[in-house]
Amino acid sequence: MIGKRLTGTLAVLAVTATAGSALAQDKVALIMSDIGSANPFWAAVSQGALDKGAELGVDVAAVGPPGGETDVAGQIALIEDQIAKGVKGIAIAPADTAAVIPALEQARARGVAVIFVDKRADMPGTYIGTNNIPAATLGAQHICDNVPAGSDVAILQGIITSTTGQHRAQGAREGLEACGLNIVAEQPADWDTAKAVSVTENILTANPNLAAVFASNDNMALGVVEAVRNARKLDDIFIVGFDGNPNAAEAILAGDLEASVAQRPYNMGQMGVEYALKLAAGEAIPDEIDTGAILVTPENAAEFK
Amino acid sequence: MTVSEDMRQDELETPAARRMRLVEKYGVFAVVILMMAILSFLEPDIFPTTQNLTNVLRQIAMNALLALGLYIVIMTAGIDLSVGSIMALATMLLAMVDTGGLPWPLVLLVGPLVGIACGAVNGLGLTVLRLPHPFIMTLGTLYSIRGITNLVSGGRPVSGVSPEVRFLGSGEIPLPFLGEYASFPVSAIVILVCYGGVAYFINKVSLGRHIVAVGGNPQAARVSGINVDRVLLIVYCLSGFFAGMAALMMAGRTGAGFPNAGIGAELDAIAAVIIGGASFFGGRGSVLGVFAGVLVMGLLRNGLNLMDVSAFWQQTMIGMIVVGAVYVDVLRRRAGAAS
Repeated sequence: MIGKRLTGTLAVLAVTATAGSALAQDKVALIMSDIGSANPFWAAVSQGALDKGAELGVDVAAVGPPGGETDVAGQIALIEDQIAKGVKGIAIAPADTAAVIPALEQARARGVAVIFVDKRADMPGTYIGTNNIPAATLGAQHICDNVPAGSDVAILQGIITSTTGQHRAQGAREGLEACGLNIVAEQPADWDTAKAVSVTENILTANPNLAAVFASNDNMALGVVEAVRNARKLDDIFIVGFDGNPNAAEAILAGDLEASVAQRPYNMGQMGVEYALKLAAGEAIPDEIDTGAILVTPENAAEFK
Repeated sequence: MTVSEDMRQDELETPAARRMRLVEKYGVFAVVILMMAILSFLEPDIFPTTQNLTNVLRQIAMNALLALGLYIVIMTAGIDLSVGSIMALATMLLAMVDTGGLPWPLVLLVGPLVGIACGAVNGLGLTVLRLPHPFIMTLGTLYSIRGITNLVSGGRPVSGVSPEVRFLGSGEIPLPFLGEYASFPVSAIVILVCYGGVAYFINKVSLGRHIVAVGGNPQAARVSGINVDRVLLIVYCLSGFFAGMAALMMAGRTGAGFPNAGIGAELDAIAAVIIGGASFFGGRGSVLGVFAGVLVMGLLRNGLNLMDVSAFWQQTMIGMIVVGAVYVDVLRRRAGAAS
């Protein structure tokens, strides 16, 4: 090969190409909204997709825009290049809900099956991801199982104008009400740790008998931990977060945080490939597929570190 | 320089200096051709197809226009970090007035006008406030204009840009004789016109030559009667204008204005200008070289995408190419000094 002799740069191109060009197989692309394996969430999604591809004998490309989450133009280029490669299906987490629509419409016009993973664009199509309402209810039920009925509890909401924020707050409220707990406060802390500290301080002042807090993400849950620690009530208040982030897992192992609700990104990758192929084969698939959620507790937190 | 002087210069030049001069002038084109040859060899069924090659043209449109604006700025030894934010604001505003019902011929003017206005702010900051370096003024506007984009839009995308407004960025001229989906992007014609226009302006129009003079030696330019402040103001307005043109490309491609448009795009544009052989110290560089620099980056991204190479490699390799391109410049200067 001429390429290899020229420069190291070209050798990289050549080596990756010979490794990548397999036999003529069906191809499916997982196009992520972030650069990929730098983020544990997307690393798990792409692993799920690749494993499913290996299982089904399909060539899976798991790619993300080089500029990261905000590189919408890079993601559009990825869509075009995957169409040019002749993929049967694209499972995509759109980097922008509007801007990727023309490129995805072009894909569909050329017979490529398009489905959404983790986030949907403002266009019709199957969505595969976490349904935040039942996921938040799962966290709420864990509180129900661990504090006496009738206790005072609080919910920290995320940015309440976002769908995610609304759904998590709604799921938590439904779960806590269902088992007869007394919700004394529902306040937004905008996904932010520092805001969660001050909001929690105020809630604690107003409600000295608080028994539990559900925080709609882990960043806020860690803020709750700080405020509760400062009030010397860490042993009395049961705190549950959402996301299953590594730093939350460490707080769970340290005993500061009781639990967190984790999404199942590996399932998203697997189902993304599976359903993109089903749709490409002409099968009817549901409009929404919940990949489920799992509780992170001291028993399994080590896996999430 | 007369012909005889030219010849004497050639005789005086060492072989090394002559070699470096050739590398500087044609090296980037050799890289483009080499990349195309390698990609055709590695991906023979995909890379050389009409669909893929026109995809490369579609994908470089935005960076090509931003780089053209930055080329003019870098010719004056300046820098414009705000072009990505200017593009975002222009895309957002034109999407908003378009969906708000403004007739499309006026909407087409909104992008470039917003760009010129933002460029004028940069130019005035530099010449009236006398900020020490354009890096500072345009770093400020990089943040502020991005902030304004989010303020006017509430951080949400605005979709539904009309087909007339999208034509320049997403229009296609069908080429049915080259295959079912073969077509040539209108955006490539926009690029051709803009590059031709700037090449003519820099080489044939006196204001354009003043820009080169200001970049080569501002003191000498001032002494010879050039109004340096006026030239700089126009230079930053032009950079803004091309960011506004890039906004039309972006609105065409996406059918939407969205707040995260063009984050980091200024760095891609600067990289393309540098790869294309323009000197960071001003006064030297060619329009054709900038276009080749844009192509190098576009081909690299396209090729690595086709081979499903991780985005990490794209970042790594673009960085290496930028350093390599500037090292060639250093070698050339050293060889020139030695002769």
